[in-house]
Amino acid sequence: MPSEVSERVAEPMLVEDWERLTFRVNREAYRSPELFARERVDIWLRTWLYLGHETEIPEVNDFKVRTIAGRPLIFCRDADGEVRAWLNSCPHRGTVLCRETEGSQKRFQCFYHAWTFNNDGTVAAIPDNGAYEDIEALQSSMMLRSVPRLETHEGYVFISFNPDVPPLLEHLGDAADYMTMIEQQHASGVTTLPGVQLYSVRGNWKLAVENAMDGYHFSPTHNTFVGYLRESGFAVTDDDQYAYNLGNGHSLLVLTGHGGRISMVWEPRFGEAEKVRTEEHLAEMRERLGEKRAHYVADESHILFVFPNLLLFDIEGLSIRQLEPVAPGHTDVRAWQLVPREEHEESRALRMKTVVSFVGPGGLATPDDIEAYEAVQRGIEATRGAGELDYSDMSRGMRDEVKGVQGRSIDEGAMRGFWRHWERAVGGGLEVSGERPERFLEGRELA
Amino acid sequence: MTQADVRGAIEVAGRVVTRGEVEDFLYAEADILDAWDYDAWFELFEEGARYEIPTTDYRGWSLHAGGSFVDDDYDLIKARVKRLKSRKAHAENPHSRTHRLVSNVRLFAGEEEGTLRIRASFVVHRARDGQFDQYVGWYEHVVVPTEAGLRYRLRRSILGHESLPVGARLSFIL
Repeated sequence: MPSEVSERVAEPMLVEDWERLTFRVNREAYRSPELFARERVDIWLRTWLYLGHETEIPEVNDFKVRTIAGRPLIFCRDADGEVRAWLNSCPHRGTVLCRETEGSQKRFQCFYHAWTFNNDGTVAAIPDNGAYEDIEALQSSMMLRSVPRLETHEGYVFISFNPDVPPLLEHLGDAADYMTMIEQQHASGVTTLPGVQLYSVRGNWKLAVENAMDGYHFSPTHNTFVGYLRESGFAVTDDDQYAYNLGNGHSLLVLTGHGGRISMVWEPRFGEAEKVRTEEHLAEMRERLGEKRAHYVADESHILFVFPNLLLFDIEGLSIRQLEPVAPGHTDVRAWQLVPREEHEESRALRMKTVVSFVGPGGLATPDDIEAYEAVQRGIEATRGAGELDYSDMSRGMRDEVKGVQGRSIDEGAMRGFWRHWERAVGGGLEVSGERPERFLEGRELA
Repeated sequence: MTQADVRGAIEVAGRVVTRGEVEDFLYAEADILDAWDYDAWFELFEEGARYEIPTTDYRGWSLHAGGSFVDDDYDLIKARVKRLKSRKAHAENPHSRTHRLVSNVRLFAGEEEGTLRIRASFVVHRARDGQFDQYVGWYEHVVVPTEAGLRYRLRRSILGHESLPVGARLSFIL
């Protein structure tokens, strides 16, 4: 017998109470198909999205195919060396044009009617073109469809499906400099490598963002990894670790004492030879960047979230992680390793081993993160329709926030900043009670 | 020795290793892993051995020339075993149920003196959280014959997938 009781969907999406110091997020945000559709329009088709790194297509005619915001794209370097992003769809009848995942070619030919395009988007050939009245007009109207906007910062290529999006650097704001810091880690710059971790999780994309900005979970969730670090001679602490909202939805964790950093913060498990190389590298950095800048670049680990789909893990080694929402409870993840272009062979081997030991679905830590947010996605079904019980709590650290004290990485301030930005983008309602602080701590003073 | 007897056998370090022996080794390992007996599994490695799972875009490069899913030296294998035996390995608590099939076993001379290369196909079925995943691929192991039996110098599992499908992860031993 069908139930007469209708499920009560609680409103609003966010509830901030500055008397009780509570911050709550409506769990519909993780599972509602309507909200997912709204995110597609109001976030994914509106702002800048991370497409890929220039070094993935180093040579002319190199290409990768990639789906961003549900749209198949060809990310390529054309015959003149220009970085391009084409909709991977024949302008003729819509066939997926390039069915390889990567390679090098000057032209893309649609197998259906053999229309052929140069990688600068121009038509190379339309077979049997005598059938058309004005072939030149047809050819120019049938160029490959480009994404409306494409801009690059420090090798990170961003696209937007919105022709009117503000300039990339304006969108990146304070996040831009942390990307520059990664580039500055090595005199030779950094490059991506093959060996991309491609995996999917049964969880909403925002749970992956929360997880990355949540230092609170580190010790309980990664208990076995923390144990491994401790046994290999490195004590993990939560001291001097902070969370920052950088504006525009971007956020940052600054971690010290979180573990070693290859070629920057040595620890015993890296071995004696690496200690010598690390000291030499640090001296070179101080020379090149100055004492203060070298400190920010080398001594701190950073986890940077660039709204909405890029996570940069500048921790033991460097990883790029890209989020691609497929459905409310399904997210595709792609992760690349970034390495110095020039690096001692032993350091490289150590770097690859060390990074992978933590990061990725086969590491000693990431599987537990995935377990955690997949468990959230399953668990939040329990309160579906339960009105005001159907909220998650993210109040941790508000007591400091209201006093203007800098939030710690083991609090939830970075998540609150993300959610406020998300709510501004998609709507859904924000209920504020009590006296809201005039301005939230935002950004970080580096000078 | 008849022709039938020597099919699939190979001589390593003055001793003949048969495909039957290699198959028994792989089958025994499959049972050990399906029974979640990680101490017994660790015994199958010689000291200094490695355990590797390349990413799904693997083209045969060294794992240090590209990213990977698993790039364990001996200490990390030890850490992985210790982790999996702990109830704090959340991704495997409760444990996955796995069922492994190994076939297409072939033997080759190893590049290093005294070693043997094994190529075999695997299918691992895994059940957990109401989900049922399959992991398909092949092994490219390097083993050394010892008095106690075969031992891994390199245990490498290569996935046949284009990507790890939704819900899949390599939190158990592949």
